[in-house]
Amino acid sequence: MSERSLVAVIDDDESVRESLPDLVRQFGFAARAFSSAEAFLASQELSETRCLIVDIAMPGMSGPDFHQELIRRRQKIPIVFITATGDRAVRPRLLAQGAVECLFKPFSETDLLDALNAAFRIPRRSQT
Amino acid sequence: MDAPTVSPAEEATRLRRCLNDLVSIIALPALWTGGEPPRIIDTLLDALVGMLDAAFVLARLNDAEHGPPIEVGRVADAWAGTLRRGDIGHGLDAALGTALQKWPAVTRIVIGRSPLSVASARLGLQGDIGTIVVGSERIDFPGETERLILDVAANQAALGLQQARLLSEQKRVAAELDRHVAQRTRELAVANDELKKENAERLTDIDERKHAEESLRRSEARKTAILGSALDCIVTIDHDGGITEFNPAAERTFGYRRDEVLGRQLADVIIPPALRESHRQGFARYLATGASRVLGKRIEMTAVRADGSEFPVELAITRIPLDGPPSFTGYLRDITERKRAEEELRRSEAFLAEAQQLSQVGSFSWRVATDEIMWSEQLYRIFEIDRDARVTLEVIGARIHAEDVSAFKEQIERCRRDGSDVQLEIRLQMRDRTIKHVHVVAHCRGDRGQLEYIGAVQDVTESRLSEAALAKVRSDLASVARVTSLGVLTASIAHEVNQPLAGIVTNASTCLRMLGADPPDLDGARETARRTIRDGHRASDVITRLRTLFSRKEFTLETLDLNEVTREVIALTLSEFQRHRVVLQSELAGDLPMITGDRIQLQQVILNLFRNASDAMVDVHERPRLLLITTEREDGNRVRLSVRDAGMGLPPHSLDSLFDAFYTTKRGGMGIGLFVSRSIVERHQGRLWAEPNDGPGATFSFSIPFQST
Repeated sequence: MSERSLVAVIDDDESVRESLPDLVRQFGFAARAFSSAEAFLASQELSETRCLIVDIAMPGMSGPDFHQELIRRRQKIPIVFITATGDRAVRPRLLAQGAVECLFKPFSETDLLDALNAAFRIPRRSQT
Repeated sequence: MDAPTVSPAEEATRLRRCLNDLVSIIALPALWTGGEPPRIIDTLLDALVGMLDAAFVLARLNDAEHGPPIEVGRVADAWAGTLRRGDIGHGLDAALGTALQKWPAVTRIVIGRSPLSVASARLGLQGDIGTIVVGSERIDFPGETERLILDVAANQAALGLQQARLLSEQKRVAAELDRHVAQRTRELAVANDELKKENAERLTDIDERKHAEESLRRSEARKTAILGSALDCIVTIDHDGGITEFNPAAERTFGYRRDEVLGRQLADVIIPPALRESHRQGFARYLATGASRVLGKRIEMTAVRADGSEFPVELAITRIPLDGPPSFTGYLRDITERKRAEEELRRSEAFLAEAQQLSQVGSFSWRVATDEIMWSEQLYRIFEIDRDARVTLEVIGARIHAEDVSAFKEQIERCRRDGSDVQLEIRLQMRDRTIKHVHVVAHCRGDRGQLEYIGAVQDVTESRLSEAALAKVRSDLASVARVTSLGVLTASIAHEVNQPLAGIVTNASTCLRMLGADPPDLDGARETARRTIRDGHRASDVITRLRTLFSRKEFTLETLDLNEVTREVIALTLSEFQRHRVVLQSELAGDLPMITGDRIQLQQVILNLFRNASDAMVDVHERPRLLLITTEREDGNRVRLSVRDAGMGLPPHSLDSLFDAFYTTKRGGMGIGLFVSRSIVERHQGRLWAEPNDGPGATFSFSIPFQST
């Protein structure tokens, strides 16, 4: 794997999976895209990922469910949620549960960069 | 404007229930025909306690004989443990006094330990028949429709009780007269028998004459006693028509003393001058031929008093069965009262017939065993059957709508089987193919083998048709609510729209960064630019889909009253406005010309303007959240509707972009509403625009052309 810190993007929307990793790489991080939380959990990258960008509303396991699953597995990976729904009320709830940030699509590159920088200030801890 | 506090659907349900209750009450008199007052009150109270939200219902009737009032009451099942029947009357007397006429129409008093709202309705024009009282724990009892039901029920009961009283009075009078005549005839027959016997004895045994004379005297004394105590006038005449007896009742009735009239011609004394000649001729004819039109019959005629006043009498004449020249006894009775009662009855029957016609209710009776059917006049009218035709089940069956015939037959079979009550709605088809909806209510009485149904039929065609129209308006409104409740749709629309926007923004950022790198990544930039364009198309597809969703494919043109269209939206949004403490005022022009348009789409526009206005005033606390809606006629054959709010006003320099898709000043807003609204108005060849107010807030208006005639 790359020496650079790996950012995993999990979103069921293809245009996000196409575009977001490219921008993240422009910031200087390594990036991989997954179409579902289940695919990510089954992958090799699980143990190497330093930061997650996760869509909230996905078929199958939702973003928040995935977050709970990580906590259950004692995998503390900093997580930035992204969502296309306009419901601003979800943000404080997700932050309270330990998310680094919650961004509403369409978000600016500045907002994304701020969120990633905040995530990388948190050391990744894992008991495995 | 008048603000209903319930939704149209609740209002419709409540009105329908009220209508049903009223029909039931109007049908009650059919059950009462020939019934006694207690039965009338029983059925009425049973009906009322079920219809009204009542703890108790009580009727207090003044007795006809000026005795103590009769009281009948019902306690609702739910109150059976709380209220005792006896407490009600005492509680009412203690709180309101015993003078029924002075009881207020509505008051709140404590009965037993329960505070109750008590509504009363008087029976009879002056409350002379009695009072019905209904108690409910609800503070706002009785509501408008409950009051209506109570008043209609009281009127019906008053009419029913009055009829029952007249009827029983008439029966009593007739029975008494029959009894008197029978008794007099019996007594005279006995007296005559004795006389005959005594005569015979006298002829055969002259020695016993003294004894016979004694008997005769006794017999005469008995006769005098009978005549003296009789309630009827008894007048006897000899074969010349001269008066030979005139009893005290006759003296009272005609105003003559016995000794004034003995020996005078009966015709001259009690028969009005105009009728004397025919009386004399009749009497002479009888004497000559033995033929009589009056003998042994009960006839009604006019008689005259000593003071010349005329009055109706009932007269029965019998020939005294003695040998020798004929003599006669006349029994006369003043029937002024009975005539009056009959006239009243006829009047109230006419009144009932008129009431039936007005309320489109006819009544009927049906003897199950013999299939004898009696119809009121109104029923002939409803069925459009000739008044002279004999009504049979076949005749009725021929009028039943083909699709309802089997239901009708089943109902008849069920009635024959178990005498159960009938509650049926059925369609009739007239000769000209028009369809009528009728509601049939009937109850059975009598024993097995003697079952008789008494019931009422109401023509409910009009209310069925207006119900159907109402249902259509409701479903239209529901679809407006569904299509335009942006709140519900926001999540899915937002998702659809934000997804490609996210792609556009991200790709654009990446593209710029690639171009700004040293050296520039031109291949990467080209690729991300291509993706940006693709996502742009995707976003515009979403907007097209939305536009189709909102404006619906079918564009249904009809002639519309913009005021009516507006009022329906107001009805739909009132509760929402109340929740947001928005005060809605409407100034709808009285002379608005009709427009041609799609009702539902225009309602979407109005609803959207309402919501925007309401949302714009969310942060307004220091002044009323006033929303003013006006309609008016504009120059150039257009009508205009304006919605003026007192909210945050329009953003400066952005009047044009207001109507662009995704332009919004609202937190969580989508910027779809005005965009869709403008396209709908433009489809109506109209214009939608916004203006800042002189004071706070903004006014959004649209104007649409109408066809000049």
